[in-house]
Amino acid sequence: MPALVVLLAMNVFPLVFNIYLSFTNADLSGGAARAIGTHNYAVVFSDARYADPITTTALFVLLSVSIELVLGYVLALALRAHIPGKSALLTVLLIPMMLCPVVLSLFWNLILNGHYGILNQLLGAFGLPQPQWLTDDRLEFVSILLVDVWMWTPFMMLVSLAGLNAIPRYIYEAAEIDRASRWMVFRTITLPMSAPLIGLAVLLRATDALKQFDLVLAITGTNDETTQTLSARIYQVVFRNYKVGLGSAYGVVILVAVIAVATIFVRYIDGLNRRQGKAQA
Amino acid sequence: MNLVRALVIVPYFVLATLPLGWLALTSLKTYDDTISTHARFVPWTSPGSDRTSPRFEATTAAYRSLSKPVAGTPRDFYHYLGNSALVGLLSTLAAVSLGTLCAYGFSRFDLPGSKEWLFFILSTRFLPPLAVVVPVVVMYRWFALENTHLGLILLYTSFNLSLAVWLMKGFIEEIPRAFEEAALVDGYTRAQAFLRVIIPQASTGMAVTAVFCLISAWNEFGFAMTLNNYDAKTVPVYFAGLQGNIEGVPWPQIAGGMVLFVAPIVLFTVLVRNHLLKGVTFGTIKQ
Repeated sequence: MPALVVLLAMNVFPLVFNIYLSFTNADLSGGAARAIGTHNYAVVFSDARYADPITTTALFVLLSVSIELVLGYVLALALRAHIPGKSALLTVLLIPMMLCPVVLSLFWNLILNGHYGILNQLLGAFGLPQPQWLTDDRLEFVSILLVDVWMWTPFMMLVSLAGLNAIPRYIYEAAEIDRASRWMVFRTITLPMSAPLIGLAVLLRATDALKQFDLVLAITGTNDETTQTLSARIYQVVFRNYKVGLGSAYGVVILVAVIAVATIFVRYIDGLNRRQGKAQA
Repeated sequence: MNLVRALVIVPYFVLATLPLGWLALTSLKTYDDTISTHARFVPWTSPGSDRTSPRFEATTAAYRSLSKPVAGTPRDFYHYLGNSALVGLLSTLAAVSLGTLCAYGFSRFDLPGSKEWLFFILSTRFLPPLAVVVPVVVMYRWFALENTHLGLILLYTSFNLSLAVWLMKGFIEEIPRAFEEAALVDGYTRAQAFLRVIIPQASTGMAVTAVFCLISAWNEFGFAMTLNNYDAKTVPVYFAGLQGNIEGVPWPQIAGGMVLFVAPIVLFTVLVRNHLLKGVTFGTIKQ
């Protein structure tokens, strides 16, 4: 199986090597690396400023995934009925998530610019305040979140829609005969029956959001205190300060988180498939 | 209820498409028009009568200037677009061929631990580029693969393999086993049956898989940025490097380049629209 060989060489080896490096003081210029035990991890977890990227990343994952989920689900509910031209409409709505994140977020810089950006001009036209999206410390994080929500809400919408469409019609007909209220139908049929796919979407998005790097680099740069995610921190530490060992330690932190979410994801799919298999049998 | 529906869909539609529309408009402007504090959003044949006019003179100057290097970059946009295309196409070809073979094996033979292997393959997709890039950089230095197209092609092949295997597994499982069995009875070898029966039946699936692999290689940034400072720079890295240009960010040229860069992906998205759900969830959702 050549495919497995490629995967082992390109994925597993770097992983193991990464863990080894995290216990050394290796640097990018290639000098001899020396084992320094857990020193790098002590740095990652002790200094308050060093731990910041962990908080930032966690907050980013939590906020982006939940906002996208709620928006996407509401959109899916609205798009559920028969609407003329629905397939074309859906395709257009899905385009942002297919395009290159870093390229589009670079362009968002022009939209968000405090002086000549179109967003502030729009806000101004409605007499609303025009904040400095890209330079105000409190708003930089919000700006990145905004772009991420713009890009990935369609994903949540797409998966939610699949979840909703999978609910058989006859269940609703039965509910109608029982004269269940709209809210009752939503709470006891729609929500629980579309939940499995939504869970899957949340897990997929969470692993993705954990890696967040592109948007940070494009919008605020990787050395910004309030928006530095773990990936951005690694970039800064390894490629700007050349501290490979410390960077690898951050890498391991991110990997542990990603592997945890990915494991849940894999179990989840396995369970989902088994349940589907049973339903079909 | 219909009103509520419209109130959700219409504003979202406008907000979602506005940035892309603005991108297209920006690519037709001159530099001064892009940074005007009075938004100019009506393309016209002549400039607006005064400073506050929403009209601007549409020009294709930005597109024409793409063949000239922007201040501070050694090559023009098309050079980087060529890099993106080369890396994207070759890695897609490799990932789809290896992935199809691998998926065929998994879907037709009962291999010991096949479920574990499949999930292992899937999990490689979740690795964050920045967390694994350091060892890759060191490894590439040993083999002199840094700053080469081959280096990126190998990497993209490996990270697209998981997607290719999972998508192709779904497509191959849709082909009835009876087809091959009939071929085997007729005296075909396993390899012949695969080539003459499975490949033609799975060709749509392979095309769809190829599109998704191409898109993710085309859009990838983390590896491309950290592994290539010079020779095999792809378009996303090129654009990221234009930020903070000494002569001001050349917005019209950037927007023009971006339009050319995203246009094929928009086209591909439309082509595979019925398979988008499969593509973005690695085929884990069965419909």
